[in-house]
Amino acid sequence: MAANYWASTQRRHWLFSREKLADIREGLREKDKVAHSQFPLPDQRLLNIYFNQRRLIQIIELIKLGKRMSTRQQAIATAQVYLKRFYTKNEIRQTSPYLVLTTAFYLACKMEESPQHIRFVVGEARGLWPEFITPDVAKLGECEFALISELSSQLIVHHPYRTLSELQTELSLTSDEIALAWSVINDHYLTDLPLLHPPHVIAIMAIIVAVVFKPTHPSAYPGTGQSALAGSMRDGGGMQMLAALSDKTGSGPPPKIQKLVGWLAESEVDIKAVIECTQELVSLYEVWEQYSEKSCKELLGRMVKSKNLDK
Amino acid sequence: MFGKGFPFMNSGGFYSHAIESRRPGGYTSKVRVRDRYNIVGFISSGTYGRVYKAVGKNGKKGEFAIKKFKPDKEGETIQYTGLSQSAIREMALCTELSHANVVQLEEIILEDKCIFMVFEYTEHDLLQIIHHHTQPQRHAIPAPMVRSIMFQLLNGLLYLHTNWVLHRDLKPANILVTSSGAIRIGDLGLARLFYKPLNSLFSGDKVVVTIWYRAPELLMGSRHYTPAVDMWAIGCIFAELLSLRPIFKGEEAKMDSKKTVPFQRNQMMKIVEILGLPRKESWPGLASMPEYSQLQSLVLHRQPSHFHRGSNLEGWYQSCLKNGGYSSTSSAGTPGADGFDLLSRMLEYDPSKRMTAEQALEHPYFTNGGPISGNCFEGIEGKYPHRRVTQDDNDIRTGSLPGTKRSGLPDDSLMRASKRLKE
Repeated sequence: MAANYWASTQRRHWLFSREKLADIREGLREKDKVAHSQFPLPDQRLLNIYFNQRRLIQIIELIKLGKRMSTRQQAIATAQVYLKRFYTKNEIRQTSPYLVLTTAFYLACKMEESPQHIRFVVGEARGLWPEFITPDVAKLGECEFALISELSSQLIVHHPYRTLSELQTELSLTSDEIALAWSVINDHYLTDLPLLHPPHVIAIMAIIVAVVFKPTHPSAYPGTGQSALAGSMRDGGGMQMLAALSDKTGSGPPPKIQKLVGWLAESEVDIKAVIECTQELVSLYEVWEQYSEKSCKELLGRMVKSKNLDK
Repeated sequence: MFGKGFPFMNSGGFYSHAIESRRPGGYTSKVRVRDRYNIVGFISSGTYGRVYKAVGKNGKKGEFAIKKFKPDKEGETIQYTGLSQSAIREMALCTELSHANVVQLEEIILEDKCIFMVFEYTEHDLLQIIHHHTQPQRHAIPAPMVRSIMFQLLNGLLYLHTNWVLHRDLKPANILVTSSGAIRIGDLGLARLFYKPLNSLFSGDKVVVTIWYRAPELLMGSRHYTPAVDMWAIGCIFAELLSLRPIFKGEEAKMDSKKTVPFQRNQMMKIVEILGLPRKESWPGLASMPEYSQLQSLVLHRQPSHFHRGSNLEGWYQSCLKNGGYSSTSSAGTPGADGFDLLSRMLEYDPSKRMTAEQALEHPYFTNGGPISGNCFEGIEGKYPHRRVTQDDNDIRTGSLPGTKRSGLPDDSLMRASKRLKE
């Protein structure tokens, strides 16, 4: 159902356990061992940073999609989820990631009711990656067929942003906290979390990070200040506090956190899952420190060019 | 008959024939329509493409309706040009939705640059049923059948609305009926989600809903429309089931060369003739509607006689019952006073006061008067004719591409109705 997550295709078909996801990826690797040894690629999260964060934002800015941040972010988020799902069915080394990314974005814009003309999207993508995107719009049109087919036409995506705005009043979140939670949600698309947990768990994780850890750089976007956040999450003792939540023995934290703890205790949210999400995020911020745009670009470029994936 | 000449598929499937092995990024469908279905005939066409009747093969059982979206054409060859937003919407929504009163999707096949949406086959639709009741002379649709149709229809609509889906194109031709009397809301080509849409619902498609079923707030140029637009259409369909004629049969004013949407003066007139003029007192938002001045000019330029009296819906209803022979003693039965009350609440000018699908299902029209059958044909003598499936080879062959000749027709049902009358 369109607005009911519990009956959605997202929950029924695109939610995996960690083990299942690992098996799927191992299966893809087994099918193409040669390419794997020939074309080593950086950590998937670093590739995600390379594509999603920096490049998508650039395209979006070029296209001036909508006036509000929420418009753009929702289309980006949907495109990111399409990519993740697509690459559970296809080995990245069999595709041109640049083309798949552009197509996912083109499709997500239509799905999120901000359609962009195919020529325009191809033109802008060519501006960014002239060596990887051909001017032939039919290429993108063809890739759209492949993408929809691999996604089994299941194109409606539920995002944590909605839960976040729904809980804003209930948990009396400040605009700083909302902004920070929002950027944490943006960041989670760089990890496997959208394939592992339902959107409301992610939203609650983001709220906890925003309220409990209170990093010094709020509304860091995109991705700046993440090391500060990682630092405060590692060192601030927040982890212990969060762990304490699951024991329901939160004694003496500030009223705001007490309120959050009380709310969590009454809700039936899976606290363990929330903690796991938080750890995933910390580990993303640690990996982020190794990010090198140059190395991502080189490795991908070598793969695409030598396999003629852009033809 | 359709073995070789039937151009259901574009001949010379490019990838299947020209390229044996899959090249990177090249798309080949894993499933082929012709391996799974035998096409047995042609059902209808519209701006989107064509609908065919098919039967399953290779162990697949049942009858199906396959909606083929036409691909764009550049010069002589068909190219991938990106799918239309409405195709994307329909695919995504049909994949996500599942309800006994919403058309059931079997699968979607993307092959040879075309989309094939495979639906369950439905033998009838409301347009066809209404038409059948006008031939050879008018005979009313029995009241219990109307009640069952309306109940199922509202159930399907409640499901769509609680899932934040607006249908936006409800009309008799889009309400499908299976041979066992189950109602299925079909054609979600214009449907969309309305939960905090990124753009206003107005910005995407300037004109929605076939003119006869278009809600007054849309005629008045509203940009903030709601599920109430579907409820207006349901009210119109209810009236049409009882009277066998569209209740507000206006003429559509076409867009001018500048592609601005004109005020639908004639359609608004048809509504005013039965419901009286909308008033600021009972519809507070009226005066701020974009077309309010147009509405006022309508009053000034016409004879004031029927403008200044109130609604005559009750008069319309009573004569409808009389003409249809609806009464508690007749074989058709009667929708009675409850039926009128329900109709008047669905044909309410002010969208914020218009009855919702949920409220309508609780209305005495349904709660009084015994159980409602899930088979609208229950107790009905005589059979409805089967859906017309043509095997008109010429028609199909000559059209170089599906749908192209008839594109631009605003309303497929109009075309189909007039075609039927000629026969």
